Amino acid sequence: MKKKIRLSAASMLLLTVALTTAACGGNNGNGNGNASPSTNTAPENNAAASDSESPSASAQEDAVEIVVWDKPSADAADKAFKEEAFAAFEAKYPNIKVTHVEQTKEKEREQFMTAVAGGEQPDLYKNPYPDMESYIAQGIAADITDLWNGFEGKDGYLPSSLNAATVDGKIYGVPNDMYVTGLLYNKQMFADAGLDPAASLKDWDSFGAAAQKMTDASKGTYGYAILGMDWADWFFEYYVWQAGGDLTEKQPDGTAKLTFTSDATIKALQYYKDLKFKYKATQKNVVQSLDDNQKDFYTGRAASMIAGSDWIGGLVAKGMDLNNIGFSALPAGPSGKAPSQVGGSYWILNPKSSPEKQQAAFTYATYMTSKEYLQSVLQYNKDNGMFPNLLSVRTDVAVTDYVDGLPAEVVSGVQAAAKDTHLEYFLKARLSPYIVKPIQEALLNEKADLKSVLQTAQDLAQKEVVDKYNEEVKK
Amino acid sequence: MSIPGVNNRMTRITNIRWMPVLFLLPSVLCYLLFKYYPLLSMVRVSFFRYSIVNPPGEFIGLANYTEFLTSSTFWQAVSNTFVFFALYLGLTFWIPIVQALLLSDIRKANAFFRFMYQLPTIMPAVAGVLVWKWMYNPDFGLLNYWLHFFGLGPYMWLNDLNITKLAIVLPAVFAGNGISLLLYYSAIKSIPTEILEAAKVDGASPWRRMWTMLLPNIRFIIVIQFIAFMSGVLLAYDNIYVMTQGGPAGSTTVVSMLVVNTAFQQSRFGISGAMSLFMFFVIALLTVLQNKISAEKD
Repeated sequence: MKKKIRLSAASMLLLTVALTTAACGGNNGNGNGNASPSTNTAPENNAAASDSESPSASAQEDAVEIVVWDKPSADAADKAFKEEAFAAFEAKYPNIKVTHVEQTKEKEREQFMTAVAGGEQPDLYKNPYPDMESYIAQGIAADITDLWNGFEGKDGYLPSSLNAATVDGKIYGVPNDMYVTGLLYNKQMFADAGLDPAASLKDWDSFGAAAQKMTDASKGTYGYAILGMDWADWFFEYYVWQAGGDLTEKQPDGTAKLTFTSDATIKALQYYKDLKFKYKATQKNVVQSLDDNQKDFYTGRAASMIAGSDWIGGLVAKGMDLNNIGFSALPAGPSGKAPSQVGGSYWILNPKSSPEKQQAAFTYATYMTSKEYLQSVLQYNKDNGMFPNLLSVRTDVAVTDYVDGLPAEVVSGVQAAAKDTHLEYFLKARLSPYIVKPIQEALLNEKADLKSVLQTAQDLAQKEVVDKYNEEVKK
Repeated sequence: MSIPGVNNRMTRITNIRWMPVLFLLPSVLCYLLFKYYPLLSMVRVSFFRYSIVNPPGEFIGLANYTEFLTSSTFWQAVSNTFVFFALYLGLTFWIPIVQALLLSDIRKANAFFRFMYQLPTIMPAVAGVLVWKWMYNPDFGLLNYWLHFFGLGPYMWLNDLNITKLAIVLPAVFAGNGISLLLYYSAIKSIPTEILEAAKVDGASPWRRMWTMLLPNIRFIIVIQFIAFMSGVLLAYDNIYVMTQGGPAGSTTVVSMLVVNTAFQQSRFGISGAMSLFMFFVIALLTVLQNKISAEKD
């Protein structure tokens, strides 16, 4: 009896161990349970098929498996389209097996960095422009200069689309998409206030006055959705550019110089403060999220906001009338100029992947940014009433051919905004929290001494970031 | 031939009840793997300028420690953390104790009240925080709308540097911890009723009974709860992140948030590990102090 109990207990123990192991273990994300990047080529899997004379079978003998984080979510509107595209790629390149992995919709950067730290960086990953500087410096993005130079189709891409992925003449990313920022405005709200958008959006003063006129607390409407949350430096930098400066300067020797206390930065911050306290033209909750700003805009609470040229489709999808949306270059600042920012995303390759995998990943990235593929995306968008991004990384794709009823002002607005563009400020990834603090102080405290808060922020950033960065650069 | 020493040891080994050990083994292994291994890795990483691509990178000794200890951003986060601790302690820690004391005196519908106190725990904590965040909205939030009927406000809540921390703590005042209440209530109920009855007969007032009999008898639970409360508050992250992401102007950035941001936004895992270790020692020290003070009182 005792023996029986022991046997039964031993069985339960085995079951417990098995369950624990299953719970503790996990799929490493590449679907085949193989963590080693250099061993993912799977000729043995195709050994059985090697007797076949078919070309696809012989191609599979040299199959390369890559992991790409680009799987659409289950509720994505274009899920079926994307899966068709994946299948088309595999049909065209039978020797490349792609494992598509879905990424979280929030905290993408943290998820990616966790994968990198855990030795699970995908062979191909899509990341936004501002991360390139940091990823290149840390060796997370592979140098693809040779692959790019040997790529026949490279002339189809806009030369400027490579700017944020090029360091010291070396290329680290395949351009995926681009946008240019400008001012989105609600035409109806301008008309209701008797305002002419062209005159109102001419410069800082005219815009402040117009935004004030469109603010009506009794109706819950306001003139300008300001970005004051922890990404506040993203749009604030445009105002510094408009005032004729920048937040940092990259010196010829590669070191960084802070310019938080320059006249341009102080003027820009004063204007931010004026929009809140003098013109009273912003929302009260200045630290609300970017999503909330967008919501205020498409629900008709906010008359204007800064946006990327690729956001218009999203606003239309949320129910905003395309004919009610205006897009303009930003109002000019004291420098008389109104530079906007160019952004987008790149495909980056894992530097630790084998050359075969890197070649396969590069082939996939260029396929997904090929003329044929981008045209099919535009056609799909058109067929499904989806508004496309008005900028393309390619010179041979005419986006406007795929939009019906596109207001001429929107096209001209995007073109005007694209005339004078900047990349985001140097060393943004590390300096962002330091400059956000004075921006928020200016927006929340009417009595804030701007020069003083900027000086404090600069001193702190100098000590904690820039001195160390410059030391590393000089080593 | 038998050797007496070896035989005794063998007997001890064979006398161990192996079955419980084997049953415990999976959980112990998981604990070692997912708690101690990361902890020890963190200690190791804290001595390196950690390279995420070629770990562990350059050995730099105590440089990460000197860097964060001389960083005003870190000390600002430490200050924020302890202000939160003081606010939570002053405004929330005692509430379930008082509720349990009152509840223990209620005879009628006692089970109903206990049930009602537990009911809010079915709501996910983050969902509760999101509701409060919506209520705080200065443009259309409900809180200012309600307060205006009493001639109060409008307040800027999370947009006011002076009251942001208070606004983060406030939900915990109104939505107290039902589980703590239940623990305190059980501890009070475990006190022999004869003692309390005798005290009543001797003419001890309710106030005196509370201070001299009830609270001393549940002190063990209070100490345990305080240690859990302290580490919970000093390592708080989720509710503050959902409410403010550490802003505005860094006024709610706590050490745990700084640790996460330093690691995952700035990719500086070495210094992030060093800061984590610092907080580990701070909490350990406070726990030891707390235990010592409590032991002295006993």
